[in-house]
Amino acid sequence: MPRIIVRPALVTLLIHGVLLYLLMANWDTSDREVIRVKPAPNVINARLVDVSEISKPTPAPVKPKAATVKPKPKPKPMPPKPSVIAAKPKAEKPTPTRVPQTQPQTKPSPVKPMPNQRSSRDILAAIVRDELASVDAQEQATATADEMSASFVSLIQRTVVNYWSRPPSARNGMECELSIQLIPTGEVVSVTLIRSSGNPAFDSSAMNAVQKAGAFPELQKLPSREFEKNFRRLTLIFKPEDLRY
Amino acid sequence: MKRLLMALALVLSAASAAAQLTIEISQGADNPAAIAVVPFAWQGAGVAPEEIASIVDRDLARSGQFAPIARADMLGNPTTEAEVFYRDWRSLSAEYLLIGRVSADTGLLRIDYELFDVVRQTKVLTNSESGPISDARMLAHRVADAVYEKLTGVPGAFATKLLYISVNRVPGANDHSRLTMSDSDGARSVVLLDTHEPLLTPTWSPDGKNIAYVSFETGRPAIYRQEIATGRREQLTNFPGLNSSPAWSPDGKTMAMVLSKDGNADIYLMDLATQKLTQLTRHYAIDTEPAWMPDGRSLLFTSDRGGKPQIYRYDLSSGKTDRVTYEGTYNARARVSQDGRSVVMVHQTAGRFHIAVLDLVTNRLQILTSTDLDESPSIAPNGSMVLYATKDQNRSILAAVAVDGEAKFMLPASKGDVREPAWSPYLPR
Repeated sequence: MPRIIVRPALVTLLIHGVLLYLLMANWDTSDREVIRVKPAPNVINARLVDVSEISKPTPAPVKPKAATVKPKPKPKPMPPKPSVIAAKPKAEKPTPTRVPQTQPQTKPSPVKPMPNQRSSRDILAAIVRDELASVDAQEQATATADEMSASFVSLIQRTVVNYWSRPPSARNGMECELSIQLIPTGEVVSVTLIRSSGNPAFDSSAMNAVQKAGAFPELQKLPSREFEKNFRRLTLIFKPEDLRY
Repeated sequence: MKRLLMALALVLSAASAAAQLTIEISQGADNPAAIAVVPFAWQGAGVAPEEIASIVDRDLARSGQFAPIARADMLGNPTTEAEVFYRDWRSLSAEYLLIGRVSADTGLLRIDYELFDVVRQTKVLTNSESGPISDARMLAHRVADAVYEKLTGVPGAFATKLLYISVNRVPGANDHSRLTMSDSDGARSVVLLDTHEPLLTPTWSPDGKNIAYVSFETGRPAIYRQEIATGRREQLTNFPGLNSSPAWSPDGKTMAMVLSKDGNADIYLMDLATQKLTQLTRHYAIDTEPAWMPDGRSLLFTSDRGGKPQIYRYDLSSGKTDRVTYEGTYNARARVSQDGRSVVMVHQTAGRFHIAVLDLVTNRLQILTSTDLDESPSIAPNGSMVLYATKDQNRSILAAVAVDGEAKFMLPASKGDVREPAWSPYLPR
């Protein structure tokens, strides 16, 4: 192609690009807020957890997800496994809670305490998560949009922190960046690694933390304008500061 | 032209990035990862020589990094990728799934295995191991090593060996000492030397093919070197007084040891080719228990030159000695991790002897054990676990603790007292 055509064409393209940028750019200067988790300035909301709530005699183990409120029941019916309705009825939301599956496990094999320990820890995590959600719900009543946004950011942080198990090769100062996509129900629909730490096990642990969190159903309380503006796509930076070294 | 287009693309992507909220995660919960190790399919004739999957399962559990899922809870026993239904495993909160098949042909065992990430629903590792049927347990440990490395980013140390001394009391006669070698899980122990005189401080050559130890079989302490495969042995020292604590240099050419032939316990080096001796420390205090830094440029040792036993470092090029430990009134028998960063040692606090780890960069000392009378720490070649001897109901036993202090386990006890464990380096295949 002759230069006489290519050059002007490119210049035109560039001008259009710049125009497009100016149009799309958010002129709000308070953009790109990076919120750090560390000194969680939140009031501690303690609640006595009844032991029976954690370790129901049988049937163990309850799936941690079961405690979170799902927007609608799964369209496909679950296979006809023996199942038990979630023991803790939620006050603010009526049912369609997902029915937790339970295993027809009768003896919790005494030799290996690990899985059981773990599941009770998961249940605790789920309870804590529930607590956080209801606290956030109470706060919401008086919160302005900005405060609300900030509290959802902090909810996402705390949830992901709870699910993040770093491999022993992880070191303070390692850093990877994920881009995640949410839908208005709060479900995570995609997790993409956009910057690797250089340690594949570390990157995987970060991606798994988000996938295990799975959904932030509390986000449904956000006005859709706010959701579209800030929460449909999120960037998560994983950068441990609390490791041994 | 290309550059222009790229500039344009950058402008556009910057426009979309500017509106994106960024959340920083700087903490984690670090729970052990739930892994389901499904029984491997046996495709050979007769009965499988070992239950490979349960060896892998127990290896991973001992590391403390994994929480294996009980077999009774599993909804199915897939042995091929086509039989894997992620939903079944997600419902058990499994994060990883390991399946495999074992076959045997003309004395050779072959293990094919696949590792899946249940959360992200992808296969992350396909591999196989093969070797003599008699080595089935070692092959299983290698599978565990590969899984561990894939998921943690640190090589596994399950396919390694342990050395230790077991002592049986014989009423009315000398104790019976056995130098024993076993797999890292304590299984398949073999006696390398059997004597009625005391045995002390067994240690490995860096290639894992030779060992050295102190034996009193001549009535006095002497250092011996022994080839594991052939049992061929050689007496290296026969000096008056102490002959103790042999320690191979990382290049395998030199051995550090403690001799008191000139009246006082000092550290010496012996060139193993010529058996020529060089004296390193000259101090009226007791210098003992040398341990090489992995770069071979300096040695740590225990000395009471400051009044109480503490760890010191001797630099081979400058000949200078620095004190390493300051915390506590007693620090002894240092062993260094392969990365040269962590030193494990016996540390006394409040009258009790524990195993502690010192980070040489931050100088932070952390006590790892809660038992008492802990002694002889030895660190795994991947730096993840520390093996040590401790007392359990008046008996010496072996125990291990993770370097982060989380996981602990005891080695299956044999008869009598078990002490002075030494964890092997990575072994050649």
